[in-house]
Amino acid sequence: MENFPILSLLIFLPIIGMVLILALPKDKDKTIKWLTLVITGIQVILAVIILFFFNFSLGGINDPSSFQFVEKLRWIEISGLAWVGKIKIDYFLGIDGISVVLILLTTIVTFIATLASWNISKSLKGYFALFLLLDTAMLGVFVSLDFFLFYVFWELMLLPMYFLIGVWGGPRREYAAIKFFLYTLLGSIFILLVMIGLYFSATETLVDGSKVFTFNLLALMDPANYNVTGILSPLNPNNLRFIAYIALFIGFAIKIPMFPFHTWLPDAHVEAPTAISVILAGILLKMGTYGILRISFPIFPEITQQLAWYIGLFGLINIIYGALAAMAQKDFKRLIAYSSVSHMGYVLLGMASLSTAGITGAVLQMFNHGIITAMLFIIVGIIYDRTHTREINAFGGLANQMPVYTGFVMVAFFAAIGLPGLSGFISEVLVFVGAFGNELIRVLTIIATLGILLGAGYMLWAFQRIYLGTLKDKWKELTDLTFIEYCMLVPLTIIIIVLGVYPSVILQFMSASVNAIVKFMANANIIHSSISTF
Amino acid sequence: MTVYDIIFYLFALITVGSAFFVVTLRNIVYSAFFLLFTLFGVAGLFVLLSADFIAVVQLVIYVGAILVLLLFGVMLTHNITQVQIKTGTLQIIPSAIAVLILAFSLIKIFLNTNWKTVPLTVQSSSVEGLGVLLLNQYSVVFELIGILLLIALIGAASMARR
Amino acid sequence: MNQIVDSLQYIKPEISAAIFLVVIVIVDLVMGKNKKYLSPIMIIGLLVTGFFIIDQFKFSSFAFMSENNKYGLLSIDSFGSFFKLLIVFSSIIIVFFTISSDEIKKAKERLGEYYTLIWGMILGMFFMIIAADLIVIYLAIELLSLSSYVLAGITKDTLRNSEASLKYVIYGGVSSGIMLFGISILYGITGTTNIYEINGLLQSQQIQGLIVTLSAILIFAGIGFKISVAPFHFWTPDVYEGAPITITAYLSVASKAAGFALLFRFTKITFIDSINADGSWNIISLIDWRSFLIIISILTMTLGNFAALWQNNMKRLLAYSSIAHAGYLLLGLIAFSNEGMMAVMIYFVIYAIMNLGAFFVVMLIANKIGSEELDDYKGLGKTAPVLTVSLGIFMISLIGLPPTAGFIGKLYLFLALINSNMILIAFIALLNTVVSVYYYVRVLKYLFIDSSEKEIAPFGVTIPNLILLLILVIPTLILGVYFTPLVEFAKYSITLLGF
Repeated sequence: MENFPILSLLIFLPIIGMVLILALPKDKDKTIKWLTLVITGIQVILAVIILFFFNFSLGGINDPSSFQFVEKLRWIEISGLAWVGKIKIDYFLGIDGISVVLILLTTIVTFIATLASWNISKSLKGYFALFLLLDTAMLGVFVSLDFFLFYVFWELMLLPMYFLIGVWGGPRREYAAIKFFLYTLLGSIFILLVMIGLYFSATETLVDGSKVFTFNLLALMDPANYNVTGILSPLNPNNLRFIAYIALFIGFAIKIPMFPFHTWLPDAHVEAPTAISVILAGILLKMGTYGILRISFPIFPEITQQLAWYIGLFGLINIIYGALAAMAQKDFKRLIAYSSVSHMGYVLLGMASLSTAGITGAVLQMFNHGIITAMLFIIVGIIYDRTHTREINAFGGLANQMPVYTGFVMVAFFAAIGLPGLSGFISEVLVFVGAFGNELIRVLTIIATLGILLGAGYMLWAFQRIYLGTLKDKWKELTDLTFIEYCMLVPLTIIIIVLGVYPSVILQFMSASVNAIVKFMANANIIHSSISTF
Repeated sequence: MTVYDIIFYLFALITVGSAFFVVTLRNIVYSAFFLLFTLFGVAGLFVLLSADFIAVVQLVIYVGAILVLLLFGVMLTHNITQVQIKTGTLQIIPSAIAVLILAFSLIKIFLNTNWKTVPLTVQSSSVEGLGVLLLNQYSVVFELIGILLLIALIGAASMARR
Repeated sequence: MNQIVDSLQYIKPEISAAIFLVVIVIVDLVMGKNKKYLSPIMIIGLLVTGFFIIDQFKFSSFAFMSENNKYGLLSIDSFGSFFKLLIVFSSIIIVFFTISSDEIKKAKERLGEYYTLIWGMILGMFFMIIAADLIVIYLAIELLSLSSYVLAGITKDTLRNSEASLKYVIYGGVSSGIMLFGISILYGITGTTNIYEINGLLQSQQIQGLIVTLSAILIFAGIGFKISVAPFHFWTPDVYEGAPITITAYLSVASKAAGFALLFRFTKITFIDSINADGSWNIISLIDWRSFLIIISILTMTLGNFAALWQNNMKRLLAYSSIAHAGYLLLGLIAFSNEGMMAVMIYFVIYAIMNLGAFFVVMLIANKIGSEELDDYKGLGKTAPVLTVSLGIFMISLIGLPPTAGFIGKLYLFLALINSNMILIAFIALLNTVVSVYYYVRVLKYLFIDSSEKEIAPFGVTIPNLILLLILVIPTLILGVYFTPLVEFAKYSITLLGF
């Protein structure tokens, strides 16, 4: 199993699908949809196979030998003249405990999103072709271990998103799409600058003993690889590592989205079609925090230590601001969008704690939030498909008319609130335990618990306004769930409940990696460790 | 101030003064004639540099051929003297300031540089030296100019034809 | 005499170009109204010239030596051959454009003159690239300019064309005059027109800095006009919009390439002091060339990008985009290192492919709907999928997004910049890239997101045009992912004679 390029297959299968779709003659709508469904379904199976063969004891993070399913091929090699030197870029893939969780999330959410795209009516060829291209880009980001490759996949997702929002979206779609594009691209240029800076600051020693500048992330994490003159080298007394860290952080923070770089999110979410909102909130937002965890933390550990409090502070601001803003919304989808901002704040808080419980909670929250928010957006989509409005005050008493639907809504809403027994509770508790254990951000944690209260506030209030109360006359004809909607909601519900009761299912995959990263960060400086996970 | 200097300044004045009139006069025939004086002044400057061949070539080609052709063109064009040529200036104040600054800085720089000079000797005839250079050292330049003239001819013919 | 004959072997491509120029004139004369042999003869001529250029890569010497036998009028080296090959490649593509262009078909009687003038441009560009003497530089620029003045107005059918040509002549004449003034000043203080000898004199510190700065700026005005950097770019939008689209495409790629090659050679040879071991250049401290170039570059990028935001005509938009790209390319020079030079060479190949491609699609669309206005592009995504997707790919490449080749070009530029510790400049350039996204994506928006107001029948691409389009699109995509051969080629060609 080790030698089979399962990761490449996982990433590039959608490209094959995209080519097939583009080659199909016109008006083969059903074929296109089923082809996409089959491909995303195969991806889920591949992800499960990867999980099956996953070795729990290998940590990864910065140790090349403990990454799994590694594929390393020479991609670009340009032999050097005396003054330009060699350039070597590798096609380097590999996963560890953190990425495998996100791969599972991506494949599941993409499959669900394909189902949610069933009702798309215009230009299906273009839609599903772009959809599959986006799929490739997202998976590529999570498995790349070479910075250049990572960057290419990161940028690759911009254009499909622009078109998916811009062509198939709501009334203000063009504005939302270009805003998303420009905002994210602005962040990307920071990442590019830091990437090039790191390239010149570190060398990788090849098999034959020669040294070459590198984009290899794992090589960049090893302080022994840095040269004395590089601008981002810890050995250089005049280094710009601090500024570079902030720049890199901003680049990733725009994606999270972290206050104050979050303003693209409400517009993008509201205008995007349901399936794209699901992908945006379920997967794309996680790319930001993943980037911080995979790149920022291990490459700049000493600066992370210095700025941990600020990361926690921004996490807190996200939690509180997102919750308060959600409470003020009149548009159901906008409310969910702001709740996403709030929930990603927990991830930041957990990461800032630099403790086992905290980071475990953060990664788990990434997974859980992905599933929960996917479900929430599908819920909005269901009601929007029937009524063509998302205004909260236009509804009321839907529980009477669509009881099964409301049942699922309850699961999703309570999971979002963090009710024990559902998955959201586990991740939030872990984040709080880890963050509280870290003396530095203890105060922030205490204030953050307010977020739970606010979360319950806006969710329950929204639930009451939409689903409880008296039914308006014009909604008396609404139908309950269709078969496709069942197919979307049931798997998500199962995952939420299972992970609420027995979270070990996921936790066992990430524990070795989380321990590895905590230890790695601890060795960079002295930090406070906290209670270990159960 | 030797005689040489006086003659130099005289020719310089003719050249620059005529050029000024070429640009500012409204009647195109007058402008063409003042162009003749400009070119004549340049020929005079060439003589002062002991470049006898160039001076004669200047007179023969520029004045004798080009300017005559220009005048032919002007006179054979119908009603050309009735055409109002716009010779006004836009934005007089900013452009005057810019020109004055430019002129001032140029003059200052020029006066303060050590130009590479060679003492002026009166040669017998520069034709032989010029010919040798053109056909030996600068032969490729010579050929290039030939092609340039061909292109100019073709281009002009192409633009003028219907 | 002997050394002239010896030097002939070094200018075989130029001789071939001149011969084919005459051949086209004669064939056009003999054949009269029958124009169908002209294009094949052009292609054959270009291929023959290209073959001679490939043969030249091994040379590294002077041609047409002066009396002291140390330096010559022309310097033949692989750097020059690289750019000459690029020009031949662009020319071949332009001939194919010409065959498909409706605009040129209308001016068919002048096809002979058209091709002759293209050969004139090629010859001018060749000499610009290999010139080592100020006189040759000036003459070559004049040859290129004169030919392009006429070509800009060759179709003569609309007021726009003639106006473009006239504006070009006036701007070009002024900048040539300024450049000649600068050349004469430089001659006045050094007594020689050979740039290698000038470098020797400048290095020996006998010359004053202020006058050298003045002459350098004046000469830069002439070259800057050709490569359309600010503040010498004012002719670009009007001429690009008014000229026939094949000439616009040719000017934007080939003329710029020749101008940059000349700029690199002029700057490096005239002003260099020594080269460090890591490839960075030490420029003589007499003039602050770097600061001057930085200001020009930032001005150019910003002006080009911000002006393009408001454009509604595709040709004008692409004109401002090419101004912005000239700004990015200037960054490669500012790095003052061999890596910067290599980055510019790589960028030019990629830029040639994507810019020619973009103009090609605009031309094909204009052939069909008769307009180059963006408003008429609305909804074309549905009626002409192959064309518009190709245009989309070219636009994305012009932005510089992965996985297209445009990203690789920009990456090498930034690698060179950051290696020379010019991080702030790289950041400004990247900010400009973000600004440029808006107008490139706007084209995509009109094509794919907006729907057309009037009914246009779906149209496709003829097979020959499709093949040409693919020749341009496929490298744009492949070079974004696998760019090793291009970089190897650039590295191999990087020797500039003497250094």
